[in-house]
Parts: sequence; structure tokens; C-alpha cells
Amino acid sequence: MTNPKIVGFVCDWSVELAPLLNGNRLRDLPNVYVIRVPCSGFVRPGWLEDALNQGAAGVFVTGCPYGDCLNREGNFLMRDRVDQQQRRLQRRRIDPARLAMFAHGLHDREAFMAEVRVFSDRLAAMAGGQATPAPATEPAPAGGSP
Amino acid sequence: MSTVTADSSRYGRFMTGLLRITLRLDTFIHTLYPTDFNPLYYTGGLSNLFLFILVLSGIFLFFYYEASLAAAFESVRYISDEVPYGGIIRGVHRYAADGFIVAILLHLFRNWFTDRHLFSRDNPWISGMFLLLFGGLIGFTGYQLVWDERAQVLTTMFLAMLRSIPLAGDGLAKIFMGGVGIGEGTLVRILFLHIVPASTLYVMLWWHYLRLRHPKVWPPGVWVLLVVGLVFLLAGVIPATSGQPATPAARPTSFPMDVFFMVPFWLLNWLSPGAVVVLGVLLFVGGLAVPYFSRRETAPQMGVRHAGVAQVIDGNCTGCELCYFDCPYNAIVMVPSPGPGLSKAAANRTLLAVILESRCVECGICIGACPFEALELPKFMERDVRIEIAQAVQA
Repeated sequence: MTNPKIVGFVCDWSVELAPLLNGNRLRDLPNVYVIRVPCSGFVRPGWLEDALNQGAAGVFVTGCPYGDCLNREGNFLMRDRVDQQQRRLQRRRIDPARLAMFAHGLHDREAFMAEVRVFSDRLAAMAGGQATPAPATEPAPAGGSP
Repeated sequence: MSTVTADSSRYGRFMTGLLRITLRLDTFIHTLYPTDFNPLYYTGGLSNLFLFILVLSGIFLFFYYEASLAAAFESVRYISDEVPYGGIIRGVHRYAADGFIVAILLHLFRNWFTDRHLFSRDNPWISGMFLLLFGGLIGFTGYQLVWDERAQVLTTMFLAMLRSIPLAGDGLAKIFMGGVGIGEGTLVRILFLHIVPASTLYVMLWWHYLRLRHPKVWPPGVWVLLVVGLVFLLAGVIPATSGQPATPAARPTSFPMDVFFMVPFWLLNWLSPGAVVVLGVLLFVGGLAVPYFSRRETAPQMGVRHAGVAQVIDGNCTGCELCYFDCPYNAIVMVPSPGPGLSKAAANRTLLAVILESRCVECGICIGACPFEALELPKFMERDVRIEIAQAVQA
């Protein structure tokens, strides 16, 4: 499995996704499917486990930087729920590293992409496949990035 | 927040620009501090901390202060020079007041520029405008209490502003002075107008916090220590001082300026007292109107997702209170259940969650909190999310 299927729940108010997206997938990492949510706290932890059970290699949730949630508490609550869900996964013999919580602000596109890339590479390594190629070796996407 | 850029009106683009600048500043601060310690995330907590310092030091000063024309200046000098640590406490009271104004202005602009005053969050904004108004009034009467030459000039200027108000002006000036001229009752009234609005601030803070669950009332511990230390350091290095004692004969033409409280009086250099009053009223009324005048009251007008007010699915609600604890806006209340739910888990419930629609901002945090599928955002339902997950994992 060289391109692990990844589902990402990304808050509307966190990292600016428009320049990164190609349809519903990240342009640089087409194995990552992004679901926009109104706040990271909207994500029900059961959905994360369902996504893993239905065949996703990994799931992550992205909220705003801790302390800066537009709705004051959403990302803190989600961080706690992800921790709790990871313990639950461990009890069910599912590797908790397949679930991750990120926090990035509007302008943190590079940091967000770097973190998703590391997550994707780690999942690929776990599956015994190759890491996704580094961005420099990829052909430039058609149309170029703004 | 790319969805916000969909707002194409000129005001919308301007506010989006301000938002991007504000968050760019955060990105810079995060190179210095971890995000949890960004002081701009705690401007409200810092204001509350300054207010707490002000109340404690103010109680100390109140024990020694005498509100009479003859004794006021002398009692302040006595506090500064002869009471042990009195000068320090007076300085702390002065610098904490400056810090209070700076912190609440930062709080105001940050929450304005990051759109945290829209939709049903106008309640904290309105109470915040009243807190700002009363904070300014308290600062102004604080400068008068010293009753030095500056206080005298300030009082004269303030009376000129009051008298410039048509019809009610003379009466208001008379009420303020406690007679036809400045007399023995005046300073008592000013002391009253210093302490009672300060107490009222806490009533308004209750209003300010009314729709917030777990408000961040205090900044992180290291910031508390830094702020308290900074205020004491300033009070020791640059002591707060009085000018010359006020006398009826004195006619000073200039005084030391305090940029945080004296701006209206500074404007009197160019404007007539009436114009300053009109400007102040316009600023205050305009401030109250900020959440409404932009016509960005609804999600579609603002260009963000309109998910609909959260709805409770009666049959599934078990009355477990998880959504009630997690809602950041106190928009969910638990009421005695009128009957059992339909699902097995809900069969023995005693409570039922009810959404107060006027408080809901459609964030969906309650959906994430509910393990019983008893809450939905009407325009972004669990079914929609599951369809998206299915799309994501196929191919």
C-alpha cells in the first residue's frame, strides 16, 4: 500500500485550504480526502473509528491553534476526544497512531502540509510500503499553485 | 477560513483583511511562545486580572483617602509619603488602570477583527461596550480624586462638556457638583462615581459571561506573575505623583497627559466641548451597532457555512448532559423529561436536552459531544458526513 487512504476532517476556520485542494483531495497528496466541518468539535469520535473500519489507513482532525478556537473550546474538546478514542482503539487492537489531531491557523499552510505528509509517510511505513515521494521530486501540478 | 473570502462587499473584504493581519500577528507571536501562552488569546483574562489588582489596591487607598476639598490632596500625599508602601500601592493602582484600558481595547479589537461578535454572540459585545464606557468614566474620576491642578482643569473641562449638552446640561453639571459650584459635596460625589461604577463592572461582567461556558477568566499563571511583577516594578521605578495642589486662584494651562484616559480632553485643543460630547456619543452608539450595521448578521451574508441551528432528536436523547457540559455558549439546557425516549438507551431517561435557538451559533460542538446520535445540524447531518466518508475510502 504505497498510498495509504487518509480521511481528514478540517475545520472551516483553521488552515486556508482553497489553495491546497483539488476537488476534495489535497493537490500534493491525492491520497488525502478532506471533509470540511464547521468546527473541529463537530466531529463525532465514532465517525473516526468507522472511517478506519471502512478501509481508511488513517484519519486526522485539524482545528485552529489551541486557545484560538472561534467557538472557544472546540479544538480542546476534540483533542480530549481524540485521546480518548485512541485509548479505545488500543483496546480493540487497532493501532492508535492511525488517528491524529492537528492544530493549524489560517496562515499555517506549510506546517499543515508538512504534518500531513509525515502522517502519510508513517502510515505508509506501517503498511510496509514506500513513503510518499518528497514534493521536490513530484512533477509540478498542472496549472501551478497560486 | 477560506470560506470567509466569499464575502465580496467592500466592508466584508476590509474585515477579511483585518482578520488576516490579526492572525498573521498570531503566527509571529507563535515563533516566540507556544500557542497556549499567546497573550492575545488571553486579553479578556488579562483585563480581569488588572481589574482584580485595581480592586485590591483601591480598597487599600480608600482607607486613607478623605473626600473633601481641603483634605483630599493632603491625604493623597500622606498615602504616598508616610503610609508604609503607600506610594507603591498608589503606583500599582495607576499602572494597573493603564494596563486595564490597554487590555480591554486589545480585547475589543481582537474580537472585532476575528468576527467573534457576530450572530448570537452580540450579547458579550454589547455588555463589553458598557464595560468600556464605565471603565473610561472610572479612570477619569480617579484622576479627579487626587485634586491637584490637573484634577481642577479636568473638572472644569468636564463641566464645560456637560454644559454643552442642550436642555439637560446645566442640570447635569449641578448634579455632578452637588450645587451651583464646586463645593464640599463635589469630591464625595466624585468618589462615589469612582467606586460604584467599579463595583458595577462586576455586574456587567456577569452579563458579559452569561452566554459563555467556562470563560477564560484568568490568563496562564506565568502571565499573571509577569503582569503583577511588571505593575509593581513600574510603581517602584516611576512613582505616581501629584501636581501642585488645586487652589481656586490657580489657572494652569497645561498638565501631564495620560494617553489612556485623557484623549477626550486632549481633543478639546481643537474641538468645542459640544463636539467632543457628540463624538463620544457617536463612538459609543456606533460601537453598540457594530454587530448589526454591517448587514453580516446571517451566515449566508457573511459567506460562511450555514449549517442550521442544532436540533435534538427527542427519541434518542438519554439526558446524559454531555452536550450541556460541552456547549461553549450555554445554549443547551436540561429539562425534566416529559416521557421516555424511543431508543433502548433513552428508555429510562429523567432529563431531556433543549436547545435555546437564540444562543446557538451552529458550530456543531454538541454533535461531537453526543454518543447517542441525538443531535443533528439540519443542513449538515450525520448522513451527509457518512456519505463523504464512504466517498473518501472508495477508489
